Amino acid sequence: MKYTGFSDDRVKLFSIALIILMGLFVLRLFYLQVIMHDEYTQLARAEQQRRLVIPAERGEIYALTHNQPVKLVLNQAVYTIFADPQVVEDKDKVIDVISRVAGGEMVDKAREVLKNASDESRYVILAKGVTRKQAELIKKETLAGVGAQTETRRVYPEGGLASQTLGFVNAEGMGQYGIEQSLNDRLTGKDGLLQAVTDVSNVPLSIGKDNINIEPQDGEDIVLSIDRNIQSYVEDTLKKGLEKAGAKTGSAVVMNPRTGQVMAMANYPTYNPAEFFKVTDVQAFTNGVVSSPYEPASVLKTLLFATAIDQGAVNRMTPYVNTDSVRVDDAVINNALKGMTGTRTMQEAYNWSLNTGSVYAAQQLGGGRINDKARKIMYEYYHDRFGLGETTGVEVFGEQSGYVVEPNAASGEGNAVRYSNMTFGQGLDVTMIQVCSAFVSIINGGNYYKPTVLAGTVDNGVYKPDTKPQPERRTISQATSDEMVKMAMEGRKAFYDSKRDRSGYMVGGKTGTSQQIQNGKYVFNETVGTYLGFGGDTEAKYVIMVQVAAPDKKLEGGIHAGPIFTDISNWMIDYLKLQPQG
Amino acid sequence: MSYQRTPSYTSRRTQNWSRNQNTTRFVSNVKLGPVAHTVLIALMITVLGLIYLTQAVKATGYDNQAKQIDDKIAELETRKSDLEVENARLTALENVRTSNVAQAMTSPESVEYAR
Repeated sequence: MKYTGFSDDRVKLFSIALIILMGLFVLRLFYLQVIMHDEYTQLARAEQQRRLVIPAERGEIYALTHNQPVKLVLNQAVYTIFADPQVVEDKDKVIDVISRVAGGEMVDKAREVLKNASDESRYVILAKGVTRKQAELIKKETLAGVGAQTETRRVYPEGGLASQTLGFVNAEGMGQYGIEQSLNDRLTGKDGLLQAVTDVSNVPLSIGKDNINIEPQDGEDIVLSIDRNIQSYVEDTLKKGLEKAGAKTGSAVVMNPRTGQVMAMANYPTYNPAEFFKVTDVQAFTNGVVSSPYEPASVLKTLLFATAIDQGAVNRMTPYVNTDSVRVDDAVINNALKGMTGTRTMQEAYNWSLNTGSVYAAQQLGGGRINDKARKIMYEYYHDRFGLGETTGVEVFGEQSGYVVEPNAASGEGNAVRYSNMTFGQGLDVTMIQVCSAFVSIINGGNYYKPTVLAGTVDNGVYKPDTKPQPERRTISQATSDEMVKMAMEGRKAFYDSKRDRSGYMVGGKTGTSQQIQNGKYVFNETVGTYLGFGGDTEAKYVIMVQVAAPDKKLEGGIHAGPIFTDISNWMIDYLKLQPQG
Repeated sequence: MSYQRTPSYTSRRTQNWSRNQNTTRFVSNVKLGPVAHTVLIALMITVLGLIYLTQAVKATGYDNQAKQIDDKIAELETRKSDLEVENARLTALENVRTSNVAQAMTSPESVEYAR
């Protein structure tokens, strides 16, 4: 029997239909896989891949305690507790639990906000800054619609210690003021990136071909040269000294004369960086040591005499006739302390802070007049060698350069009267860090160190000190430095508060009391007091500069700033374990 | 078992440069048709696919474990940083000053220096 099967026509028809169908499939597949390839790939990636930024941890900041690093600024993971009002079942219970567990971290009116949330609202913050333990307790309550977000905050275990030097980190994670701002790049690090195909639980899978895993680079852990104990003592002493003097503001800086490293840098009023948002006066953020140029007055006589001695114009025992006033061009310059008339030495002029003596020394630079030569020499020393009127490069945000008038300034301001005033620290604007760094070079043999607040870094828990700072330049000769050490020590002995100095130690220093300018004129009812000195055993081991001020108040370097210096100096001798000599 | 020489086979003995080399070649008598070939290839692809699938599943299983370990590490690091903060707070100068030990300290009456 012959098999007839389907007729040829039907088979052909079926075949054609099949081919057309296959063709449609091919066309559709071509459309989907070739023409729409990119779009569907994007959609698939969006669905399957997760792209997560792995935040780098901000570097921590250490201080020193006898050359051992101790944490001053740390990071801590905290949580923000939020609720989805559409999912929350029992709002009262949620608020009660958060209130009981988070307490002070609960945001204001959280109950009202949650209860009155609109129908569209899906996110209500209930508490901020909640600790891990608190977050775990809340999690245990298994509250529907309540979640936690992790964030990092800066923690300051020492409270407001060195706050103007540290600065703070704002809500956007940016460093503000202090080294938080100036070293923001080093502290921030670089965020990492994780791009991976994930499963339904968002677990990254290693099977994707486009996976990216860039590890974050955490910020550097920085060690400051600030000694925690010295900083604390200086802050306490400054505060007490200011209260006693009736001063409103004050600053103090302690430097190591062998390295230029800052051991303490204190300012008052101050603030707690953890509560920077509560500060109402922006002045509290300012680090007066580096950011507030002023006329330091007679403490600058140390620089002037160092200049004159280094130039061989005078020596400590060079005599001159003190008449309590001296005429320079059309101006008369008077002594603050009158009655010490007659033949006096440069040392006596330094001891009693006689302006006529410093003007005399400056005149000798020009052969008897403060002429162009004398002014050029003074400018070279003040500006080029001692660094006045230029930023020092200290790593604290907001350093100001101040201003020293050039001898040949087009304005004509660099005249003999101006330079006469500059011999006793008026007629120029300089910062404490500039003056202190210059003074360091004068008493350490003539080596100028760039002031620094950095001592090293911590890498994987190991302290790595920076290489020992090297002098940037020479300012004066060793012989001049030796003379200036004697001059400052003699000057200190003539100062009444030196009776409180510990016997057997070398302590030297100079007072300064500067009139303030109001409406373009010096006034007598407001003065700023400054004391600048050093201490040590066989050589200078620390340099201290103190400044006190208050609006409409006469504050003197000897009476108000000097005692603060003495207190710090005596304490430093114990702290550094210096042994008495002789 | 019998063997057969392929008709197109050219003996290497005839080639001058391959004298005395092994010249034996065998062809199996078992014949496979095109369907069998297709089925075999499909089976091989399936087996390879299954192997890939099991390895991929295994890998994702490891990913899960890795994620759990990562989470654990992150949690432990958080605990560690909490402890460091606690330690820093406890050893802060203010706490040290007000501690019982510090309160009980007295100033020395005299100090002598070893030279």
